[in-house]
Amino acid sequence: MTASITTPGSSAGPSLRPALSTTARVLGRRALQAAGVVVLVSTACFAMVQSLPGDIAFRIAAGRYGYDQVTAASADSVRAELGLDQPAWLQFLDWLGGLVSLNLGNSLVTGASVAGELGLNLASSLQLAAVALILALIVGTTAGALAASRPGGILDRLTTVWVSATRALPPFLLGLVLILLFAVHLGVLPAAGHGEANNIVLPAVTLAVGLSGLFARVTRDTMATIRQSEYVRFAATKGLGSWLLFLRHIIRNTGVTLIAYVGVQVLVLIEGVVVVESLFAWPGLGHALVHAIFWRDIPMIQAAALALALLVVAMNTLVDLATAAVDPRPRHKEAVL
Amino acid sequence: MSLRLNDLVVSHAGKVLVETAQLDFQPGKPVTIIGESGSGKSLLAHAIMGTLPHNLKAQGSLVVDGHVYDVSDQANRRRLWGRTMSLLPQEPVLALDPTMRTRDQVAEGAPTFRTDKQGSRRAADALLTSLGLTHASTAFPHTLSGGMAQRVAFAAATIGGAPVLIADEPSKGLDQRARAELAELLRSHINSGGILLTITHDLDLARELGGELLVMKDAHVVEKGAAGEVLTNPAHPYTRRLLAAEPSQWRHQWMRNTDGIERADGAVGGSIESSGTVLVSGAGLGKSFGGQELFTDLSLEVRAGERVALSGPSGSGKTTLGNVLLRLLPPDAGTVQHSDLLQRGRLQKLYQDPALAFPARVSLAESLGDVVHRHGLDHTRLEELMDSLRLAPELLRRRPGQVSGGELQRIAIIRSMLLEPVLMFADEPTSRLDLITQEETMMCLMEQVDKLECALVLVTHDDALAAAVTTRTIALGTPSSVTVPELELSAP
Amino acid sequence: MTNAVAMQELLPAPARDSKRSKWLADRTVMQLVSAALLAVLVIFAVAGPLIWPDHAVQDLSRFLEAPGASEPLGRDHLGRSVVARLAHATQLSLVMAVLCVIAALLFGSLAGIAAAWRGGWVDSLLHGLSEVFIALPALLVVLVVSAIANGDLWTLCLGLALAQWVEYFRMVRARSGLVLAGPAVEAAALLQLGPVHIIRRHLLPELRPLLTTMATFGLGSAILALSTLGFVGIGVRPPTPELGLMITEAFPFYHEAPWMALAPVLVLTTILIGLLGLRSKESQA
Repeated sequence: MTASITTPGSSAGPSLRPALSTTARVLGRRALQAAGVVVLVSTACFAMVQSLPGDIAFRIAAGRYGYDQVTAASADSVRAELGLDQPAWLQFLDWLGGLVSLNLGNSLVTGASVAGELGLNLASSLQLAAVALILALIVGTTAGALAASRPGGILDRLTTVWVSATRALPPFLLGLVLILLFAVHLGVLPAAGHGEANNIVLPAVTLAVGLSGLFARVTRDTMATIRQSEYVRFAATKGLGSWLLFLRHIIRNTGVTLIAYVGVQVLVLIEGVVVVESLFAWPGLGHALVHAIFWRDIPMIQAAALALALLVVAMNTLVDLATAAVDPRPRHKEAVL
Repeated sequence: MSLRLNDLVVSHAGKVLVETAQLDFQPGKPVTIIGESGSGKSLLAHAIMGTLPHNLKAQGSLVVDGHVYDVSDQANRRRLWGRTMSLLPQEPVLALDPTMRTRDQVAEGAPTFRTDKQGSRRAADALLTSLGLTHASTAFPHTLSGGMAQRVAFAAATIGGAPVLIADEPSKGLDQRARAELAELLRSHINSGGILLTITHDLDLARELGGELLVMKDAHVVEKGAAGEVLTNPAHPYTRRLLAAEPSQWRHQWMRNTDGIERADGAVGGSIESSGTVLVSGAGLGKSFGGQELFTDLSLEVRAGERVALSGPSGSGKTTLGNVLLRLLPPDAGTVQHSDLLQRGRLQKLYQDPALAFPARVSLAESLGDVVHRHGLDHTRLEELMDSLRLAPELLRRRPGQVSGGELQRIAIIRSMLLEPVLMFADEPTSRLDLITQEETMMCLMEQVDKLECALVLVTHDDALAAAVTTRTIALGTPSSVTVPELELSAP
Repeated sequence: MTNAVAMQELLPAPARDSKRSKWLADRTVMQLVSAALLAVLVIFAVAGPLIWPDHAVQDLSRFLEAPGASEPLGRDHLGRSVVARLAHATQLSLVMAVLCVIAALLFGSLAGIAAAWRGGWVDSLLHGLSEVFIALPALLVVLVVSAIANGDLWTLCLGLALAQWVEYFRMVRARSGLVLAGPAVEAAALLQLGPVHIIRRHLLPELRPLLTTMATFGLGSAILALSTLGFVGIGVRPPTPELGLMITEAFPFYHEAPWMALAPVLVLTTILIGLLGLRSKESQA
């Protein structure tokens, strides 16, 4: 059935209008998504406050000062701080209101401003994620491209084994293995810490290994399909050599799929960040989140969870914009994943 | 320049798919191969080019200007590509890189591309301009119509100056106007002293090209001769059968006198000779898609027992009009009335691709069984219909994807006929079938239509088919200078 | 171009055999081996806790005892039977994962079908909700829910389902949308065939293979998420045995008592490899 018709006007030269409206659409959709994420996460955190058993204020005060030092006064101050003496719906509005005015509150454990602590965490998480992503992309796409150049060949089989291995080994196990091997037995790399250049090696490699397998698989499959595509075969009959074919047609079209796939992998990356940071005591958002959950530090949980979720939205926005820039085709269907 | 193919055999797992003795190609004299799908005609072209799928085995030799190439080694002709031999692909829309502007796709075929990119681009622009595609040079392929994409592909295939051009089903999916333009392009290659081999199942294209004609059937060339001669005085029974299957040659009992095409742009007057009750009437209908007006203020009626064609070039909105008349799609303006006679499933539709008209993952018996069950029909009715449409009952055990297109369309006809429709709406029901299958399928449909005295609305872009089957044509869309491409969106 | 031609011209007439042998023929060796591995683990998860019921009994005198005839996998740092803890942990992982996948699959696909079928505000609402959930990493959802759950297994299970439903929803909505908008369903409507026919013949057969694949994926990620939670010390609370928790606990003793760490690691990777292998179509391609 006819589903859409392209107007002939759009074929008359490149016009900037469609590109701009694509950008606007992407930004609009992602902004809505971000707003939804904020509401959902903060609602969950509010539910967390309400669901805490016993006298929340007392517990939180205990968490802050230790059980021996809790006094009625300290519990009261916590109660006032959280506005726990008001009805639930008013508390919820207050809660959202605080968020809207960009006031993330103070940590219940340390009392320090959440926003201030989070800045440092965000920077270290970004650093780790970026290094891991770049590493994974380099290794994964190279392996995938080599595998695709000869489907069924030895490199292809090796890549398949590599991909399966990375899929079957959970990131925390891989991290443990790497710690045992490089930090404990060989003693060449530090298992934990932050600040020195070689601190990042093990966490980044742990993260990158899992991602690289996925990138290798997608690159291999996409490239093998594109090599068989009608337009690559037709371009070959125009007289283009293998190298020109690769440069002019295969790379760009593989890139279109791969960029979109990075968007999907952002979720895996962020999950990995949480796990790997906890394992290697890397002072990022994931580490902060797990720590905060452990201590029921609700403002910190909310802030860290929001930061991680918004990071996903931000990275996906970049991916959308990059896709729109590389692929001129209008998006008929939205991506399923 | 000369090209000769000696003793070609293409086989797969011991089964011979193509077997020909000697074929000679000369400059200025086009060679066209016709035959049904599965006859091996496309494989012949790809064997010459060296683009056969790897699982096929080819033997024989190709002599290009005295230089002998062993056909079994496909790689040995790669250096001829683009410079000596080039290929015009089957579906140009798919053969263009979706992420590259057309100018660059043409330019990269130029012999000087590696050394002089700017010069190649200028040459590409010049060539595109000469083909009437000045504005398309900076466009991306998805904005082109099928005909425009075919001309871009032609430019890309010929810019390298290859004297040998092989066109593989180049008219597939093109409407009559785009096909005429294509024929002209191909003739221009001949006129400039090139060698042309065209593979097609399209007799009109073969007629327009002239030159030498080869008829293939079951892996062999069964007839060979001057196109004019073969197409008027066929010698081989298969060729005769093929020519008789052209709608203009049909002589069947169910046919009625045919005449007059009336135009439906603006108001439709036109007396309807049939005095039957009005089944469907549309008044003041208008519909546009993506800013493009398909039709406005269109009024028409379909009466009981009538046979009407909806015709027009691709993109003219004939399928859309059909769906509006069936009330599957709301019009932007106007109203559609249905007679009570059409209730309870007495209005049925046939689809262009029957494989999409059945649930894909259940057997045909289950699909049809539900219809029989739902309407409390006698199961023998299904068996009778299978028999009268010359289908083996075992076919129903298969899934839609495991039955040939022609057979499946006949099963779709049976499914509709189970409900004894008063109006049958057929949307390009045979446009994907070859000529002989088309005739068989239309016969099956029309015998039933005739028997039930059911009204028929046939959507088609084929005027000859419309003339053979219907008595009245509603023609949509004046052939304008801009072609609006229809993008098909279907399940992956 | 050539492949399409060749495929069309070479397509063999479909041969139909009896149903059973076709089922077997459609499986790869890898899939059969994986199914066997998983079957062994399921038996261990069902029978193990019956054979070794006492996973919590501590006997500090048997601290880090090596595997032997009475204790096939030795004892841990608190003198608890490793095999008993492993059996209970495997059972817990599998039961939680299956429950979570059933919940997510049911809710996700019903919502997906409803959105595709009804369209309008139902679709807008559910689609909007899924747009938000798709931005949340599953582990993040489970972590936040586990903070609310306070170690309660049911809530944790719900959290896992909450993290997964959106994938089923989006796939089912997209696929159902294509099917429902397609000519086959249009033809069914013209033939006056009702919703039962459309669901039974059109939607379910189209969704079944998709959902099967997604469910095996979902099982794997649920088990992984659960063990990750245990590993970072959130989620299932000690002394309840859980695979990730057991790995964390064993880590400091990996030198003295490698069996203690190796046992849960092997079970976990076997489950993941088995689920991966079930999906492999390698030798068919």
